[in-house]
Amino acid sequence: MSGHDDGHGNNPTELQHNPGSAEKADLRERMYLPDLIKGLGITITHFMRNLFGERDPNPQVVNRTGMSLVSTVQYPEEKIPYPEGYRGLHRLVPREDGKPRCVACYMCATICPAQCIYIEAGEYPEDDAAVESRVIEKFPTAFVIDELRCIVCGLCVDACPKDAIRMDTYTHTPSEYNRQGFVYDIPKLLKGPSVTHPSDPWFKRGSSEEPDHVHKEAHTRIGEGHTAPRLVAGPRIEVDKSNPVAVTKFLK
Amino acid sequence: MVAIWHVIIAGAIFTVMAAAYIGAGYAEAAGLKHLQVRGLGSIVNMLVLMLVFVMVIATLLTLAERKWSALMQDRIGPNRARIDLPIPILGPLLAKQSLAGAPHVLTDVFKMLTKEAFQPAGASKFLFNLAPMLAFAPPFALFAIIPAGPTVVVAGEKIMMAVANPDFGLLYLFAVASLAVYGTSLAGWASNNKFALLGGVRAASQMISYEVALGLSLVGMMIAFGTVQLGGPTGMSEMQSHYLWRFTEVGAAIDIGIPAWGILLQPAGFILFFAAAFAETKRAPFDVPEGESEIIGYFVEYSGMQFGLFMISEFVEVVVLAAVLVAIFFGAWYLPFGNEAIAQMPIFQEHGWLMGALYATVFWTKVITLCFLQLMIRWTFPRFRYDQIQTLGWKILLPIGIANVFVSGALILLDPSMRMLAIMGVVQVAIVTGLTLIPRPKERDEAESALAHAGGH
Repeated sequence: MSGHDDGHGNNPTELQHNPGSAEKADLRERMYLPDLIKGLGITITHFMRNLFGERDPNPQVVNRTGMSLVSTVQYPEEKIPYPEGYRGLHRLVPREDGKPRCVACYMCATICPAQCIYIEAGEYPEDDAAVESRVIEKFPTAFVIDELRCIVCGLCVDACPKDAIRMDTYTHTPSEYNRQGFVYDIPKLLKGPSVTHPSDPWFKRGSSEEPDHVHKEAHTRIGEGHTAPRLVAGPRIEVDKSNPVAVTKFLK
Repeated sequence: MVAIWHVIIAGAIFTVMAAAYIGAGYAEAAGLKHLQVRGLGSIVNMLVLMLVFVMVIATLLTLAERKWSALMQDRIGPNRARIDLPIPILGPLLAKQSLAGAPHVLTDVFKMLTKEAFQPAGASKFLFNLAPMLAFAPPFALFAIIPAGPTVVVAGEKIMMAVANPDFGLLYLFAVASLAVYGTSLAGWASNNKFALLGGVRAASQMISYEVALGLSLVGMMIAFGTVQLGGPTGMSEMQSHYLWRFTEVGAAIDIGIPAWGILLQPAGFILFFAAAFAETKRAPFDVPEGESEIIGYFVEYSGMQFGLFMISEFVEVVVLAAVLVAIFFGAWYLPFGNEAIAQMPIFQEHGWLMGALYATVFWTKVITLCFLQLMIRWTFPRFRYDQIQTLGWKILLPIGIANVFVSGALILLDPSMRMLAIMGVVQVAIVTGLTLIPRPKERDEAESALAHAGGH
């Protein structure tokens, strides 16, 4: 036997002593080398597999069995899809004529624990051209959400009696260069597919032929009409930098 | 794709080394003819080996450390830096390529060169500036005695691909390696920072402890080859081209046999030297003097290029350690077989530089492989506790080193042909391999019971 093996075999040392196990460490544990070589084998196997394998960019794979084990997502180019029911960036739901469904009832602003919603109500004129506008009294002249304050709890969506605010955009708040950019007003919030319920008041006037039971509750319709593919985030929201939103009152 | 890169890198090494041989040959000849001085060839060697090879490999290792560790840990690693040149066609084309993260080397260099070189209040100005140089110079100077290729005749002059080949060979290596401790301890002391001082003390005590084991671990090799020189006709590099056992007749088309490589003769010495030298480089698992993110070390007060010198010296140490290991334990520039056949080929006898460049490519390939192994070790093994480091150095490596000297000496005395030593080495390797591959009794029982369990249901 050489000095190397003798020395390791006959000298139990603190280095190889494993305080966790009551039983005496066996020869290979006291020699330390076999375990180190095994560890090296594992890392080199990973290295070689990742070096020669083609990276599978699908982030949905939970247990990778292919050649390459790399699970990195190259973020701006590749994105992990959000799960169903993800609470994304707010949107004000438009009616079919493009105006917001919001009736400025202040329910969302009241329930908001972060107090990030600011609404100013206006009144539709009685002789408004659109029938939708004639049957509802109020509409928001200003509807502002400070996305930096928002804690994304979704209470505003639950509270809304008119299904006018939703978080079904499947995008999170995009980054901005200044805080003012995170203060979203109606032009920035009003987007996405329009929503119409059979229970909407402008249908109920006169004689409605729709039976009551097909009127779905608003909360069961979250995500309806959302057709954008989930894998890719929606188009980036362009911020009009030339004309900052005047919300100084709100920011106070 | 990866294979293409390997061919490109090998081709680049071959080209540069061929140029080095020719340059050294003609510089030596010109120096003798016009100036009547010897040594111009060594200066060319120094420029090529140290400034081109050691520096370039060390610089690329800073990237490789991040990229390779990423691949080991199932990540991609840095790939976001881009070269954006204002050139019509090539510029936009380059800007789209990540180039395997290579631009990160440039960004690192520019960052370190343009950062402020901060100096703490109350620091000893002279020593504070001296320390990074003292840390950087020794590993760099170590490379001087390592031959990177065979001695061949170019332009009528014998060219040895080493800066110098002193008679005291390895003693120079030990002497210069021990100088590195001054850089670290001075950096710790001169920073006027308690934590830096403690880091410097840790570094100094670790490096001094392991110098003993470092020296002892190579004594076996010195006994076996009967020399402390690395280069030259009787140096350790040339000795490793001999065969312990030949399988073919002398003069066969290709000669095959078991060569007298250091790793075969002295596997225990190799492990000892590797461990001790690893501790000298202060890299994981021996990185208690400074642990990049979590242990405040001796260069905590350094910034900019002064910090860069400490960092690059670590990588230079990696390259030089790999080169030393190759020269002593892995047959230097020789292939494990067919060396006599190559030496007898007419094209190589006619053009010495061609053979030199070929063998130098083999040498650098081995060096890069060992650099890879060192980085793998650095990213695999858990860090030793400080008392474990001292225990390993004094209570394990040192006694084994002493025992190794006596056992090797006795075996050489019994059988000067080194065959018994080689058998001993093979036995040692076989024991470690066996212990690695054979599962433990406990694991085996668990595997069997799991199998029985699965069958029962």
